[in-house]
Amino acid sequence: MNDMTLPNEAVSLDRRGVLAGGASLVISFTLGLSGREAAAAGVSTPIGAFIEVSSANKINVLVASSEMGQGIMTGLAQLVAEELMVDWSQVTAQHAPPGWAYANPLFGIQLTAGSSSIRGWFTPLRTAAATAREMLITAGAAALNAPRSSCVAQHGRVRVTGTNRSVTYGQIAAAAAQVPPPSNPPLVSKFRFIGTSQPRLDIPSKVDGSAAYGIDVRLPGMLYAAIKHCPTLGGTVAKTPAKPAGAIAVVNLGDAVAVVAANTGLAKRLSEELNVQWSIPASSAQLDSALIMSKAQQLLANGTPQIAEQNGAPDAELAKAAHRVDATYSLPYLAHACLEPLNCTASVTANACKIWAPTQSPMMCVFTAQGLTGLSPDKITVNTTFLGGGLGRKFEQDYIAQAIKVSQAMKAPVKVTWPREQDFTNDQYRPMALVKVDAGTDSSGQIRAWIYRNVSPSILGQRNPGMTDIDTQATEGSDQLAYGFATRRVEYVKHPAAVPVGFWRSVGHSINCFAVESAMDELALAAGQDPYAFRRKHLAGNARALAVLDAAAALGNWSASLLAGHARGIAYSEAFGSLVAQVVEISAPTANAITVHKVACAIDCGMAVNPDQVTAQMEGGILHGLSAAMWGHVTFSRGVPSPRNFDRYRLTRMREMPIINIMIVNTGGPLGGAGEPGVPPIAPAIANAYARLTGKRLRTLPFFPAQSYMGDG
Amino acid sequence: MITITVNGKKYDCTSDPTTPLLWVLRDELGLTGTKYGCGIEVCGACTVIVNGEAERSCDLELKEVAGRAITTIEGLSPDRSHPLQKAWIDEQVPQCGYCQSGMIMAAAALLKQNPHPTDADINEITNVCVCGTYQRIRAAIHKAAKG
Repeated sequence: MNDMTLPNEAVSLDRRGVLAGGASLVISFTLGLSGREAAAAGVSTPIGAFIEVSSANKINVLVASSEMGQGIMTGLAQLVAEELMVDWSQVTAQHAPPGWAYANPLFGIQLTAGSSSIRGWFTPLRTAAATAREMLITAGAAALNAPRSSCVAQHGRVRVTGTNRSVTYGQIAAAAAQVPPPSNPPLVSKFRFIGTSQPRLDIPSKVDGSAAYGIDVRLPGMLYAAIKHCPTLGGTVAKTPAKPAGAIAVVNLGDAVAVVAANTGLAKRLSEELNVQWSIPASSAQLDSALIMSKAQQLLANGTPQIAEQNGAPDAELAKAAHRVDATYSLPYLAHACLEPLNCTASVTANACKIWAPTQSPMMCVFTAQGLTGLSPDKITVNTTFLGGGLGRKFEQDYIAQAIKVSQAMKAPVKVTWPREQDFTNDQYRPMALVKVDAGTDSSGQIRAWIYRNVSPSILGQRNPGMTDIDTQATEGSDQLAYGFATRRVEYVKHPAAVPVGFWRSVGHSINCFAVESAMDELALAAGQDPYAFRRKHLAGNARALAVLDAAAALGNWSASLLAGHARGIAYSEAFGSLVAQVVEISAPTANAITVHKVACAIDCGMAVNPDQVTAQMEGGILHGLSAAMWGHVTFSRGVPSPRNFDRYRLTRMREMPIINIMIVNTGGPLGGAGEPGVPPIAPAIANAYARLTGKRLRTLPFFPAQSYMGDG
Repeated sequence: MITITVNGKKYDCTSDPTTPLLWVLRDELGLTGTKYGCGIEVCGACTVIVNGEAERSCDLELKEVAGRAITTIEGLSPDRSHPLQKAWIDEQVPQCGYCQSGMIMAAAALLKQNPHPTDADINEITNVCVCGTYQRIRAAIHKAAKG
């Protein structure tokens, strides 16, 4: 009975939908909790912002973060269950509505990003649950007519110690909600749930088709729209096209049109067939991969840098170096390619705006709706559905705004869906980058000089054109490295390319880790040293880093003999508060192929609230980084992005999946994130293995751009 | 009007005969467990079983499946009791879950034809999972095959 519940409104709309549409329109919207079960859960009483206690003693956790696959509903529910002294079988979870109470304490905004949910909520959510527990004990003592000091909370009941007398939380929830919240409630010290691999609450609904994603939302009387943007970035609609036969309307959205029809399949087909006249500004021709690369090369040689970090006089040290590396690494634009294409449902009337969306930030949806409708936030509701992947794309507001605008134009509820081709060609792409590393060691192989220059478009700069500060999203993973270099200078040069760029899983780390960890390996080989030992030497005295590096080396059998034609590579990274090391074992069956056989990965994220889900996130991060390293790239030709679909944006499939082993190393350090830190080390680890295998250094991502055809399976 | 049988039930469909089965299932029948991912038969999120074979439903026209028996994720079992569904829960396979309906249907077709698949047999599944659950999918298929 660990089923999740959706917001009551969605459930009731579903029931209306069923009644309105007849038996053939049973919509799977209730995540396995049937209407009867929902009714049996009884009246719910909120105790604080995060907990609802039903009269049937179900504990519903309102989860501030968006569930996009990372298992956060379960992880945060574990924190609540721990402090509330309930049994796991009582616990359900649902997405919280937008609200300041749900702003991640790390950011001050309700946003699921930056591998921050557990870090942000670990103590605040436990404190909220402990507060509720104390209120329940007070109310329970009164109901039992017993001294409060003789009452304890256990298994979802308040019990008088040494007796059989107890009440369920459900029986006293209403009274408990009236108890003044105590300050500084004690937190549980002996964990029952934290640190255990509780089964995910959402998984049952994801094996029978009942999990409701944004794209599955259906409301009575709704219309369905498909979006068609100008194929050239920067273009706008020159003339609103006439409504094609079979369509209900064509809505001009400025840089796109929405074709509205009776269902999504029809809207999609009509949008694809529709001819639209576009106005394309001359500046669009500048969005061109060849031009962008040539500008990057120019900036790498002559650009004026911002300094991220400076220590000592690296130029002078470099001149004296015994072994030098001067290497330039090239990384492409990447697409997010969430498997669920962008979509949003909106219903706007004169005095209300309702949104259903797979969004990483329901709060930002409110801001968007406020701006477009002029309604006050109390008139705006956002129902966060499951996300079929988020990856940093689904906190953007473009698709949310479109749904609101189309609903306004149609005066009806509308679901807007982006055909896959629209999703690929209108992304906020992971920026390209050129990175040059000039570094040198002394004769003992100790790095004396490290000069690092990253040329890359600025995600923050594009969004804040007046920004003068250095873009920390671009420099993360290049400065404050754990390695002991005698001197260093880390530079960033902002590339002015206007291709829209955004936050792709692990953001700047996805770029900088490739350059840093490749260069570290090149230095090791130049100095004739083992890459693992070389890293150890430069992490000397850093017990936490060494523990992770050693764990990965042991798990990956770094020193063991290899099959002929196989080689191992290693990489280390610190990102989002977590330390990760990976060892890969590869072979190269042909000159243009790499087979990754095994990946051993160690992570120290402090306490792993749900170890199996940390493991899953590392598996997923590795796979995400692996596909990108092998084949991932987006190019632009005079403003036109390609590819347009998965046939030419190859992803790792079952037959290419390496055997992945994960080890969680907890050295008692502070909490770190899990969603992103698995991504950065895999690309350099593979390149490093390839160099040891073949003597050839792969400095350009992806490794095999010509093999990005995925065809028809 | 084209009649198809989905999960053992007959439907008289009013969609245009050239409409992809995916959209008939999702839009007309309200069976939204079958997902749209690419629309070009690559990703496999729309996989259903047609006359015992796993098929990408996004490029299968309604008229091509007239009279055929179609099974979608909703019809695999009434209560998540199919061995694959149980194994998927045991192995905690899904992350975002968006590809998983198609994965489970591809695996169900595989097991029907080959009750004890090898790793190489499982490698024939070409459905795409962006979250990286392949290792767990493989383990779950083996577990379901053992029964």
